[in-house]
Amino acid sequence: MAERSFAKEVEDLRLSDGEVFRGEGILAVTKALLQAGVSYVGGYQGAPISHLMDVLADAQEILGELDVHFEASASEASAAAMLAASVNYPLRGAVTWKSTVGTNVASDALANVASSGVKGGALVIVGEDYGEGSSIMQERSHAFAMKSQMWLLDPRPNLTSIVDMVERGFELSEASNTPVMLELRIRACHVYGSFVAKDNVRPKFRLRDAMENPTRDYSRVVLPPSNFVHEIEKIDKRWPAAVDYIKKHRLNEFLGGTSGDIGIIVQGGLYNTLNRALELAGLSDAFGDAKVPIYCLNVTYPLIDDEVKGFCLDKKAVLLIEEGQPEYIEQAVNSILKNADIQTKIIGKEVLPRAGEYTSGAIFEGVGKFLAKHAPQLAAKSAPPAILADDDKRAVAAIVPQRPAGFCTGCPERPVFSAMKLVQKDIGKFHVSCDIGCHLFSILPPFDIGNTTMGYGLGWAGASAFGAEAGQRTVAIMGDGGFWHNGLTSGVGNAVFNKSDNVLVIIDNGYSAATGGQDILSSRAENKTKSTNNPIAAAVKGVGVKWVEEVHTYDIGKMKRVLKEAMTTTLKGPKVIIAQAECMLNRQRREKPVRDKAIKEGRRVIRARYGVDPDTCTGDHSCIRLSGCPSLTIRDNPDPLRDDPVAYVNNDCVGSGVCGENAHAAILCPSFYRAELIYNPSALDRFASKIRSAVIGFFQKGGDRRRARYSFGAGA
Amino acid sequence: MNPRAIKIAVMALGGQGGGVLASWIVKAGENAGYIAQSTSVPGVAQRTGATIYYIELFPKEAAAAKGKAPILALMPAPGDVDVVIAAEMMEAGRAIMRGFVSGGTTLISSTHRVYAIAEKIAMGEGRQDAESIRAAADRAARQCVWLDMDQLAEDAGAVISAVMFGALAGSGATPLPRSAFEETIRTTGRAVERNLKGFSFGYDAATAAAKEKPPEQPAQVAEPKIAPAVRPLVQRLQTLPSGVRDIAYKGVKKVVDFQDVRYAELYLDRLQYMVASDRLKGGDAAFYKLSKAVAKYLALWMAYDDVVRVADLKTRSSRFARFRDDVRAADGQIVRVWEFMHPRIEEICDLMPPALARALLKSNGARKAFGMVLGKGRRVATTNLGGFFMLNAMASLKFMRRGSFRYGVEQARIENWLSLIASAAERDYALACEIAGLQRLIKGYGDTHERGLASYEAIIGVLDAVKASAAPAQNLARLRDSALKDEEGVALAAELSKYGVGRAVAA
Repeated sequence: MAERSFAKEVEDLRLSDGEVFRGEGILAVTKALLQAGVSYVGGYQGAPISHLMDVLADAQEILGELDVHFEASASEASAAAMLAASVNYPLRGAVTWKSTVGTNVASDALANVASSGVKGGALVIVGEDYGEGSSIMQERSHAFAMKSQMWLLDPRPNLTSIVDMVERGFELSEASNTPVMLELRIRACHVYGSFVAKDNVRPKFRLRDAMENPTRDYSRVVLPPSNFVHEIEKIDKRWPAAVDYIKKHRLNEFLGGTSGDIGIIVQGGLYNTLNRALELAGLSDAFGDAKVPIYCLNVTYPLIDDEVKGFCLDKKAVLLIEEGQPEYIEQAVNSILKNADIQTKIIGKEVLPRAGEYTSGAIFEGVGKFLAKHAPQLAAKSAPPAILADDDKRAVAAIVPQRPAGFCTGCPERPVFSAMKLVQKDIGKFHVSCDIGCHLFSILPPFDIGNTTMGYGLGWAGASAFGAEAGQRTVAIMGDGGFWHNGLTSGVGNAVFNKSDNVLVIIDNGYSAATGGQDILSSRAENKTKSTNNPIAAAVKGVGVKWVEEVHTYDIGKMKRVLKEAMTTTLKGPKVIIAQAECMLNRQRREKPVRDKAIKEGRRVIRARYGVDPDTCTGDHSCIRLSGCPSLTIRDNPDPLRDDPVAYVNNDCVGSGVCGENAHAAILCPSFYRAELIYNPSALDRFASKIRSAVIGFFQKGGDRRRARYSFGAGA
Repeated sequence: MNPRAIKIAVMALGGQGGGVLASWIVKAGENAGYIAQSTSVPGVAQRTGATIYYIELFPKEAAAAKGKAPILALMPAPGDVDVVIAAEMMEAGRAIMRGFVSGGTTLISSTHRVYAIAEKIAMGEGRQDAESIRAAADRAARQCVWLDMDQLAEDAGAVISAVMFGALAGSGATPLPRSAFEETIRTTGRAVERNLKGFSFGYDAATAAAKEKPPEQPAQVAEPKIAPAVRPLVQRLQTLPSGVRDIAYKGVKKVVDFQDVRYAELYLDRLQYMVASDRLKGGDAAFYKLSKAVAKYLALWMAYDDVVRVADLKTRSSRFARFRDDVRAADGQIVRVWEFMHPRIEEICDLMPPALARALLKSNGARKAFGMVLGKGRRVATTNLGGFFMLNAMASLKFMRRGSFRYGVEQARIENWLSLIASAAERDYALACEIAGLQRLIKGYGDTHERGLASYEAIIGVLDAVKASAAPAQNLARLRDSALKDEEGVALAAELSKYGVGRAVAA
């Protein structure tokens, strides 16, 4: 079960000709795929394209009606390899993932399908996780398009343009026998907007037609001599065909003013930001009627030489707005102009940031600098309203704290790292090789655990160099998502084969949690269309690990013992600890409604949560340094004599018990308590509690009376 | 004037429902005849990080008149945001940092704090003062609306996004009618009643805040009824300088509550001695800074935390009332409570006669035996009779305290500390105050207490060297702060090394 249910959105996939689709960009793409008569869709979840996967997972019925096969692929490589179906057959297929990380994983298969070439349209939808909020290395997918010679689409970020470009993408792919990449930036994936829908199209040629009448063409297989032929084909046939199609159907747009000796070339995805910057500079309006000519690249690879030359010819300077680095487009445009002996100056990174997201501010500034130098008559007429003085802003910046992402309230991964911290107190620090997933938050305060992360599922491989005889073992972390993605072979198999003596901790929370709680092989949930409940332990033992321990993460004491044992045992060979507990986000999503229902229906329900006594808490905050749970926070010390704020468990507490377990395992302080609230108590409950409160109350009154004899009056 | 979009930025933390709010604003805009667009960059930021949601609303008829769709931006531009809604006070600060709050902006911000991890993990007070955000915002924005939206949500039993939604409507920052907002909540069909309540709370509070804040009523102070048993103490308090009296009053209260009147007499004896020497050192001019410090820290030290104290506090009726309140128990709802206790042989020895305690602490056998019996952490059910009586019995051991090992140890430490203060006061008043403040390092239980005490003693160990240094008071303060920097004592070790002391850094 994914983090979000898309029941409503799924209905939108049925919209027919003329109806208006309202929703997220990435969901619009899903509808566009069905409108384009796609036969198969695959991919691997990850922001910002997770919702595409989630909605299709919930849309089995509609997909069935349309003969569309959907796979939640095991990895981006599996997804890319799916495109093989379009090599021999007129089948339209689409795959999707988070880029550039996903494209890295997929690139082997991508390079092969790009070499073979395709008969049916093959579309690769890459969700660009670049800039603000990104969780990965900052790179460009552009390079992958260039190296394998796949075409790269970068449409204007409005639903109509995006949807249109999906359809065009398939046509372009078929016209040029080349897989096409559709690049969508994170904001475009999440943009809410609308477009006018078309009917869904049922593919004429179906997958079963291919399976029942297979055809083959050995010249499509990447093996000598064909591989050499493919390279030439790319240049002589496919490239020109692509250029013709892009020109003929005007995929790139000439917008804004038509005259003037300056102009702007912009990646389609940045067009809206550019127009806003021009609006602020008084050079455009809300409808994009810019005073400056704009060449909008909805296709950023390949470039169309004639269009570039035509646009630049009558201009003395052109601003090129290209996000990220290296500046491939700027270099290409310069060489096109040079070869044509056109003297137009191309101004790009000279006035724009070399690295980082091109925000409104960055582009506004860049345009300003460009105009000031090359078109002073247009230079900023109207500056934006004054914002706070810089020193004033600095003063604020000095106190506004960083808010790194962290483990959720009650997260079952937190206690694993609490235990690790405690073990380090006992046996000294050790090297920790991290992986991709929520568990990577361990590198941040309060845990500060972890040295490197080498990619999804590569946690243990990242520690494989440490095979030396040493007085301390290394620990590697891997999530269940990464484990099934490739960690089983790249990590566990690798460690067994090379006789590693180090330790792996697999965080088994039952989902691919970081990407939105999708099911995976080892998920406990029953899933109609997928095979779940395949235990990780069985797989690990299956590849030959002898030392395997399964621990419930919330039992910090045991977690600590097992980890210490793994680190200190004289037994040689790879050691795997499987730390199990369900992702709390998903668990709450599942249990809360059930619990509320039960309470409504008058059934007896016990809800646990935790608290801290402010009069025994001395404000040292060791507990917070060991846990960092969002609901474990601080408040003013009620004791007027004490200086430091006391710990406090706020009402978001989900009763995981980690704080209390920590207090125990670390011998912290007696301030923590576990409270159980009973809803719809039984007669026995009520009776017992009556007796208790009567007796306890009697003694407490005694104490109150005794204290009253020494009362200083109000509040004493 | 060309038609332009209404631009709204929502600054929220993961889990605060910023996404929900954004989608509500979109719907409200569409209800009121606007073309709406919203974007965000959730991803990992959703996991407790700070996220910005951005909405643009463009009048439909303007687009119709032009016969073209407007081009709406996917992110806020500095100086070009009409409304900023911050779900937490520091996030308002973040909006200012990013340049979203400008002369044209209405800032609607909650005044409550969600402390960042950096503020929480400090070994003492690590919280940033958000009030300066308010000042900067009032300078920067066209209009500011400050509300404790968290409290309002709590009161209404609604999600905070409902309150923010209401505050947006109430602020009048957009031309959207109230009906367009409320209609949106109704059409969600989820928790409608509660969220409408939250909405109206936000709406009313914002309309009020957008006008003038009512002056706060001074709280009524009840006439204290002083029990005869403690009257003599109160009379003695009257003899203290007025500046010291108030804090000494709190100190006496604490010490009586910890032990008894006789113990409070001892507290006052010690304090009055200090006040006397303070007066000689011209304490008047310094407003008795030293006496105040001693009055405060002496009380804290004398009321040290031991098992008796903990058991006493855990079993009081006032505590039972408080935890019911903290866990939001409904009236009459049954609440059961378990304490997490991990007594070590040290804690038990604290209560024993000195000789016996020392013997036990030395013997490994005792340690082992004890470890087997009480070694693991125990959960004590205070709301059950068994657990309650166990703690109650422990609390009643108060009478043994004076004869106990721990009592002797603590009194000796206190006397030593006081003499250090007194002798320092002879020459360096400021230094004496700093020595008094060192008590702050000693707090907590078990490992925490041992760590604090070790830091204190390490610093006292270099006191003479500090006295000989250029600026003793400042240097001692630096030592104290370094002790509060990190658990491993790395910072403190570094400071100490300046005085030629190599201190093993705890792992």
